[in-house]
Amino acid sequence: MKHITKIYGNGVLANDDMNLELAESEILAVVGENGAGKSTLMKILYGLEHPTAGEIYIRGEKQVFKNPQDAMKSGIGMVQQNFMLLPPFTVAENIVYGNEPRKSRFLFDRKKAKAEVDELSERYGLGIDSNLVVEDCPVGLQQRCEILKVLYQNADIIIFDEPSAVLTPQEVDSLLDTLRNLAKAGKSIILITHKLNEVMAVSDRCIVMRGGKHIATVKTSETSTKELSAMMVGREIVDAKIPQATPGKTVLEVNDLVKTGEAGKPILKGCSLHVNEGEIVGIAGVSGNGQTELLHTIVGLMQADSGNIVLDGKEIGGLDVRSIRETGCAYVPEDRNTMGCALKATLSETMLMAHQYEEMFNHKGILKHKTAAERFTALLEQYDVKYSTLSQLSGELSGGNLQKLIVAREMSHHAKLLIVSEPTRGVDIGAMEFIHNQILKQRAEGGAILLVSSDLTELLKLSDRIYVMYDGFINGELKRAEAKPENVGILMMGGSADD
Amino acid sequence: MDINYVLSVVNSALRSTTPILLAALASAICTRSGVFNVALEGQMLIGSFVGIAVNWVTHSPTLAVLAAIVAGGLVGALVGILQVRYNAADMVVGTSVNLLVGALTAILLFVVFGVKGGFKDPALVPLPKVKLPVISEIPYLSTLFNNLSPLDYLSYVIAIVMYIYLFKTVKGYHLLSVGVKREAAESMGISAVKTRIAAVIASGCLCGYGGVALSMGQVTLFAENMTAGRGFIGMAACNLGKNNPIAIIFASLFFGFSDAFAATTQNTIPSQLTQSVPYIATILALIVFSRKRKKKATKTEESKAEAVS
Ligand SMILES: Nc1ncnc2c1ncn2[C@@H]1O[C@H](COP(=O)(O)OP(=O)(O)OP(=O)(O)O)[C@@H](O)[C@H]1O
Ligand SMILES: [Mg+2]
Repeated sequence: MKHITKIYGNGVLANDDMNLELAESEILAVVGENGAGKSTLMKILYGLEHPTAGEIYIRGEKQVFKNPQDAMKSGIGMVQQNFMLLPPFTVAENIVYGNEPRKSRFLFDRKKAKAEVDELSERYGLGIDSNLVVEDCPVGLQQRCEILKVLYQNADIIIFDEPSAVLTPQEVDSLLDTLRNLAKAGKSIILITHKLNEVMAVSDRCIVMRGGKHIATVKTSETSTKELSAMMVGREIVDAKIPQATPGKTVLEVNDLVKTGEAGKPILKGCSLHVNEGEIVGIAGVSGNGQTELLHTIVGLMQADSGNIVLDGKEIGGLDVRSIRETGCAYVPEDRNTMGCALKATLSETMLMAHQYEEMFNHKGILKHKTAAERFTALLEQYDVKYSTLSQLSGELSGGNLQKLIVAREMSHHAKLLIVSEPTRGVDIGAMEFIHNQILKQRAEGGAILLVSSDLTELLKLSDRIYVMYDGFINGELKRAEAKPENVGILMMGGSADD
Repeated sequence: MDINYVLSVVNSALRSTTPILLAALASAICTRSGVFNVALEGQMLIGSFVGIAVNWVTHSPTLAVLAAIVAGGLVGALVGILQVRYNAADMVVGTSVNLLVGALTAILLFVVFGVKGGFKDPALVPLPKVKLPVISEIPYLSTLFNNLSPLDYLSYVIAIVMYIYLFKTVKGYHLLSVGVKREAAESMGISAVKTRIAAVIASGCLCGYGGVALSMGQVTLFAENMTAGRGFIGMAACNLGKNNPIAIIFASLFFGFSDAFAATTQNTIPSQLTQSVPYIATILALIVFSRKRKKKATKTEESKAEAVS
């Protein structure tokens, strides 16, 4: 890619004279802050966006991609941040989608599809049951499905846009293995990520972007995470010292929560926990062990079968989401795109969500747009969210910036209890540091914080106490001093703390 | 009760089923492609009218049926272009088209035939009835299959063909995919707009067929608003059959029976009451059915529920 420049319709300069080269069998990492223009550059390569200026060459030949189909024909495939799968169909059906094997002219040969998919997944060591229905697959498998889809189309260049953001640590490991296997098999890979340890682990070269510009290209073997992060953010990131917590009275108390899901499958098997003022309590666990359901029960999105939940001295089990929020609870949901916001709402609407009844924004049922706008502008400034106007759509923000906006919305109201799930998913390291500091600041002000994160490093860094969930129950509680990756890991796999 | 009487009720139920079945299939293909089509009623009524009009001019039932299908398809194209291409609101388009066709056929009735309310003429050629080779000799079975037109038989074939199309062919898979997730389809270069418009046009053709089955089936005449909500009953049958053409056959038979029941009990029970039977049956069926389905839906809804109130 030579001299690529992209200016979006709203005047945002997302790429400024970018150059990028990729060799065969190479893994190239692209890193940079939120809004640096990484996704935009890849969308151009994949034909989803058109460059304002610049050219693309493949094996010396100039290419013009009108749409992703053109790019696919030239052997470029992309595993996008949000998957393009058809949930009610099987893995095999999804993988062959668009290039289905046929019996006679019209009939879809599902048997052959399955055979071809099995053969492909065998060849690249992806191990996936092609009969599974996609909506029943965990995210890691769905991602493999996307990878296979790209392989099925005979792509030589595969683009991964933040592939690990949605995965559990175990899934990340197997993804990195897959990347290595693919490179060994002769595929060229572009990997966008915010996790520098992944860059160090798999890539051959690394490109650093900032503000749409090319900052540096380095050989991975000749650099370090420290150097990379300094280049990305333009300053050094220092790990803040975390002061001792001074827990006060109990804010949230959950007793013996039981919930049975569809078909009698137990989801929560008697969970009890409490969170005090001025304390960050973490919940560790391999995702899918009941963490999401536990949070959903606390915030009122789901009803437990038995057990009770007391927030600030008031029983909240059975109340609706609004009453629970008004009792003093804020919630940063794990998935920003479906629960955190409406992608087609404007930024100010998104910021207002759930706060529209508050006196600050609402005068006898009439929204005070001006006050709101002033406040939101200040807040977005404070959280360093890159946006153009409050009236743009939330879906137009880069992933990390949208995450920062949602965190800003939830944190700014200083609720007694703050529930945060994956607060730094998809944000760059500078922003991660900032969000961590905000969480710590809220703790210092006496806030009670319940934190769920699949990033163990984050969890261990922030939590004063950690509950480890396994198979729907709490398999152990560790104080900050006792919590180490090893013993948390054992508890996460269902072992006991004495092992 | 007389067995022959029961059989004749069943026979009339079979004949009442045809228009409903076609409307339900039309609704299914739209729903499967992700379009909510409320204009089925209008798409049917135009078929009923055009069928009779062409019949009267050409004296050919075959041409009449073909013209009805084309007319339905044209109305379908209008609906599809407005709703899919220009993103017009489904309820608004549907309601306007239904009202428009209702008024248009009433006016044309007056302009072309010079009558109001309805048109019936000895010159109209009824559809041929199918005489099944062996069955028509067997006493009871002959009552059961008496007086059915080729349109009645063909409607079941259409349902089966649609089933094969949706679930066994590549094109059908693409149509389903558009209904499930349009971005995914577009990422593979499958045009959601074209697929959906095509589905709505197909639904128009099916409805045109259903409409002409009504005006040239049991009787050969046109009356203003003769579809009388069958488009909507079709939507109910489609919903009841979970958009599956085979299940839709049974759901439509259920409504066909309540229709026949209404017709045969007219003389014993006040007719206002009996005539509302199909509609009451529709409401009841939908309530019973949606309660069953609600349990299943709760889970998906919960996961989709907004975190913000
Ligand atoms: N469709 C769009 N319309 C207008 N502006 C856009 C659009 N998509 C992205 N932008 C803007 O372009 C800039 C670059 O965005 P891009 O998504 O490429 O960033 P990124 O490097 O991928 O960030 P992140 O790490 O947060 O995913 C941002 O300022 C963003 O707001
Ligand atoms: Mg991005």
